[in-house]
Amino acid sequence: MMTAVFPAAQDAPAASAGVSAPLRRSPPAAGTDPGAPHPPVVRLSGICKAFGPTRANDGIDLVVAPGEVLGLVGGNGAGKSTLMRVLCGVTRADEGSLQIRGVDIAPDLYDTTLAQAGGIRIVHQELSLCDNLSVAENFFLEAPEAARALPGWRRIFRARARAALDEVFPDHGISVDARVAHLQIGQRQMVEIARAVATPQVRLVILDEPTSSLGLERSRQLRAFIKARTREGLAFIFISHKLQEVVDIAHRVLVLRNGRSVWSGPAVEASVEALVQAMGGPTEGVMASRRAARPAIGEGARERVRLSGALIAPLGRDVVLRAGEVVGLAGLEGSGQRDLLHGLYGRPGPGISRAGKASFVSGDRQKEGVFPLWSVLSNIALGRLESRAPLGRVDDGQERDAARAAAEKLKLDPARFDSPILDLSGGNQQKALVARALVGEADTILFDDPTRGVDVAAKEDFYALIGSVARAGRLVIWHSTEDIEFLECDRVLVFSGGRIVRELVGDEITEAAIVDASFAGTGATERDATAGARGPLDRLVDLAPFASLAAVFALMAWVNPLTVSMFGLELLLGPAIALVLVALAQMFVVGGSEIDLGVGAFAGLINVLSATLLFDTPWLGGVALLASVLAYGLIGATIQLRRIPAIVVTLGASFIWLGLGYTLQPTPGGASPEWLSAAFAWTLADVPATLILIAVAAVIALAIDRSPLGVVLRGFGNNAQAMTLGGWSPLRYAIMRYMLASLFALAAGLSLTAINTASDINAGGPFTLISVAAVVMGGCALIGGMISPLGVVAGALTLALVGALLGALGVSTDYNAAVQGCLLLSMLALRALADRREARR
Amino acid sequence: MTALMERLERHRWVWSALGVLLLWAVLSITTGRFSLHSLSGVAISASFLTLVALGQMLVVTTGRGNIDLSIASVLTLSAFASIVVAAGSDARLPLALAAVLGIGLVTGLANALLVVVLRIPAIIATLATGYILATATLIANRWAAGFSMSPFLKTLAAGRVEGVPLMLVIAVIAVALAGLLLGRTVYGRRLSAVGQNERAAALAGIRTGRVIASAFLASALLAALTGMLLGAYVGGAFLEMGQPYLLQSLGAVVLGGSLIFGGSSTALGTLCGSFLLILIVTTMQIAGLPAGTQDIVQGLVVIAVLALAGGRAVRRRRAAPKPEAVAP
Repeated sequence: MMTAVFPAAQDAPAASAGVSAPLRRSPPAAGTDPGAPHPPVVRLSGICKAFGPTRANDGIDLVVAPGEVLGLVGGNGAGKSTLMRVLCGVTRADEGSLQIRGVDIAPDLYDTTLAQAGGIRIVHQELSLCDNLSVAENFFLEAPEAARALPGWRRIFRARARAALDEVFPDHGISVDARVAHLQIGQRQMVEIARAVATPQVRLVILDEPTSSLGLERSRQLRAFIKARTREGLAFIFISHKLQEVVDIAHRVLVLRNGRSVWSGPAVEASVEALVQAMGGPTEGVMASRRAARPAIGEGARERVRLSGALIAPLGRDVVLRAGEVVGLAGLEGSGQRDLLHGLYGRPGPGISRAGKASFVSGDRQKEGVFPLWSVLSNIALGRLESRAPLGRVDDGQERDAARAAAEKLKLDPARFDSPILDLSGGNQQKALVARALVGEADTILFDDPTRGVDVAAKEDFYALIGSVARAGRLVIWHSTEDIEFLECDRVLVFSGGRIVRELVGDEITEAAIVDASFAGTGATERDATAGARGPLDRLVDLAPFASLAAVFALMAWVNPLTVSMFGLELLLGPAIALVLVALAQMFVVGGSEIDLGVGAFAGLINVLSATLLFDTPWLGGVALLASVLAYGLIGATIQLRRIPAIVVTLGASFIWLGLGYTLQPTPGGASPEWLSAAFAWTLADVPATLILIAVAAVIALAIDRSPLGVVLRGFGNNAQAMTLGGWSPLRYAIMRYMLASLFALAAGLSLTAINTASDINAGGPFTLISVAAVVMGGCALIGGMISPLGVVAGALTLALVGALLGALGVSTDYNAAVQGCLLLSMLALRALADRREARR
Repeated sequence: MTALMERLERHRWVWSALGVLLLWAVLSITTGRFSLHSLSGVAISASFLTLVALGQMLVVTTGRGNIDLSIASVLTLSAFASIVVAAGSDARLPLALAAVLGIGLVTGLANALLVVVLRIPAIIATLATGYILATATLIANRWAAGFSMSPFLKTLAAGRVEGVPLMLVIAVIAVALAGLLLGRTVYGRRLSAVGQNERAAALAGIRTGRVIASAFLASALLAALTGMLLGAYVGGAFLEMGQPYLLQSLGAVVLGGSLIFGGSSTALGTLCGSFLLILIVTTMQIAGLPAGTQDIVQGLVVIAVLALAGGRAVRRRRAAPKPEAVAP
């Protein structure tokens, strides 16, 4: 019995220290069967969680036994996601208790780390992979315990990834070394599922809409796998809109509605109809009758939208949408519905024409809808500004009247106009966004899944409104992820593989007809064998920094043949070592999608420190150098903790470094410590030290980047949110990133001292821009997560050579800054154009 | 109490105004010689800073961490250009003005093109254009033979009306116009919307590219005009004369209470922030601190204010649930 209660102690030695403290043995509760061999994997009781006025969870109980599949269903906004976030330790419940494998856990100590130690893993709807990393590296992020900072550490994760994918999805065709960005959406979902179930000591896997991007065959494989693993005692929570799937796979089903659990029982007692009833969703009959009750569209209603060309090729005729209609865009997610909506809103592409004005209402309120700093009224009133002159005056009173009229139609209380928009519930926020479209007086309103995360009452208000809005003379185009909503529509266009394959009108619209048509052309989406193959073109792009270095070098050699001698190389490239090191420092910061505007000044400060303090009083100089590295870590911590832009902080810091340098040494001078000069003045087989040290710096940076630490840093640069959810500390790695950068910048400062045998606080300043240029030339992405140490070294050397080349050609040094600036801009412009071409492809 | 906090939250310029009053009071008491008269010296310096900072504020308002780092070079180059072209005569002033506006226009358009069309991060784009302009300044420095000013410009920059510096009048008018623009016009709403949520703004029918471009244009033009006036005030142009304005313009915006993440800015706050920053610098000069220490303090002030304000912006966005706000 003891072993059953404290399994974590044996199974997860790495995590046990963190787990045992907050866990305490629960008294034998009246509810638990003392004879049961295994306690439930998790038991949540009376979970309550409110966001502002919305009670997302209201006293929910949930129990999952080992080897059980619990189906969790509920409409949008029923509270499923919140409950799962509570279960995974992402969100802290306001009330309720939590038990993992029979052990009570203090709710305020429960977090993602504890949830993971308890063997709970979730496969999110929003994918949580870092797409700049390989499949194997993503497996590492999930269970890093086995990693060692030795060459070849990836081998174990490569094997684990391959085994897991083979087990869940036979013949998956995914290379474990492929970058996730190169996988298709369905393949990413497969990787994510395999990653969760392959974690050592996993006991409960939560699958949130796991089949939304999977084809029929892959879904079948997944269900077979779930059945096989439950026999070994693994438990699952299966969340899906596809109720038939839930009924088929689950042992028990829990139905949520408006934050409460409304039905719970064995799956054999559940049917799709009964579940729909319990979810309180609209039934087919109600929605269809509402459609039938609408007045007919007048004859000769004005044409608003015409679709033609490839989009409607399967239909074989143009589709004309008229004022007064409610038109649904159906199909599997990502089949082209959104593309059409955006095409209709923005510049109409080929085959899409629209007359009159349009407005857009998105269900993704945070990203595409609300303006978080504004009141409800300002959020609504923005819709009235569209066609006005920029210097026109905005009038609070007029706005209020217009907004009031729209709000009344939507049953949105005008008394809340002055509240900040974020104080409203999801449903009321959505009403404000719909009101924004109504006050805009557009002829066509485009809805993109407008009822996402909205409570049932608000949904009803929305449905009631749609018909009257359309019949008042507008065209309503409505994309939804809930097929039942299409029963509200006068007409439904069903998408498959990016084309409209079916048009359903009036009574033809049923859920079954929509599903049938959606799957009609899905043969194409099943194709997933071309995973992660990199073309020769990609490799050519990787070589660009080295090619340009070679080109500039050749040019240099042509201008001055002495360049090719060892002496010439030392003269040209030796001084570049500082630039190389500063560029590597900048690279690590850029890898976190930040830019350091103080790195040059910092190298200048180190230059001064090492030529003054370190020369005069070595121990004091050493302490000062150490302190400066710590100060850099502090900068990283400030940026992370206070969530402020790195650029401004590092710009401020650059003034601090400069000020410190001036204070220490108002005019250039000082001297280099002997040992430091010596460190840069040896030769090995006639190769000068500086050249060897440049190579050494490149190798060290490469080793760090390839190490587990480097992978984690790149992960944060790409998808910090997913990393944090995965239990990685953003603060710790922000500090490490900046301290790593400061070590390279420190080396740069020391090399300046050794080579110039003196110091000047202004010596480092110009390095800031050149370091960014070198990083960009080296092939790193400024959005973070993609860095290439060797490319950066090549880029830095190229830039150093360009300076020398200009000198050799007799161009004044005054032009250096301009040439560097132009080079940087043209590199970025070329990159931008290349990216755009790729995006179009 | 909460009403007061809410009002302070809305009128964030109050903090910097309080800071100005406090520092001034302390200075007046501790150093007997700091009087209204010496305050006018502060006012002139702060007025120059305000003009530049207003442009920076517009760029910051566009969000996503946008910042204009080219203003220092624009300012210096304009000062050189106005001196070279005007050559000390009022008759050539229109030509000089055209040259200065041309510099602002070209730089602003270049920045806007790089940021809006090529999607290059604003810091990198403006840093690079700044470097290119720095080279132009080096070349202009070789041409700039004399230091003769156009008399009219000199009057504008250094003159007084009833003892009030003309520059202060110009700055206050500019602040009032910017305040109206931000708070009362369609453009102000659009700018704020773009700064809060660019994608949502585009989906609400705002031409986000134009709005962002206009901010960069305004910033470059203001910096160029300030450079001309500053050149006339100090009686010449010199390399690095724009350098202090890089951090100070940003510092004034942040001190004034505009959100560094964009979407919410206050022109009055930028005025107060400029005064506060200049007062801090003046205090350090009076106290006899060396130039290096002054740099350190300015850097620390900007980071400290950001660290304090950054948390506020985050709280605001999360909109902590209030129990009394629960809907019936």
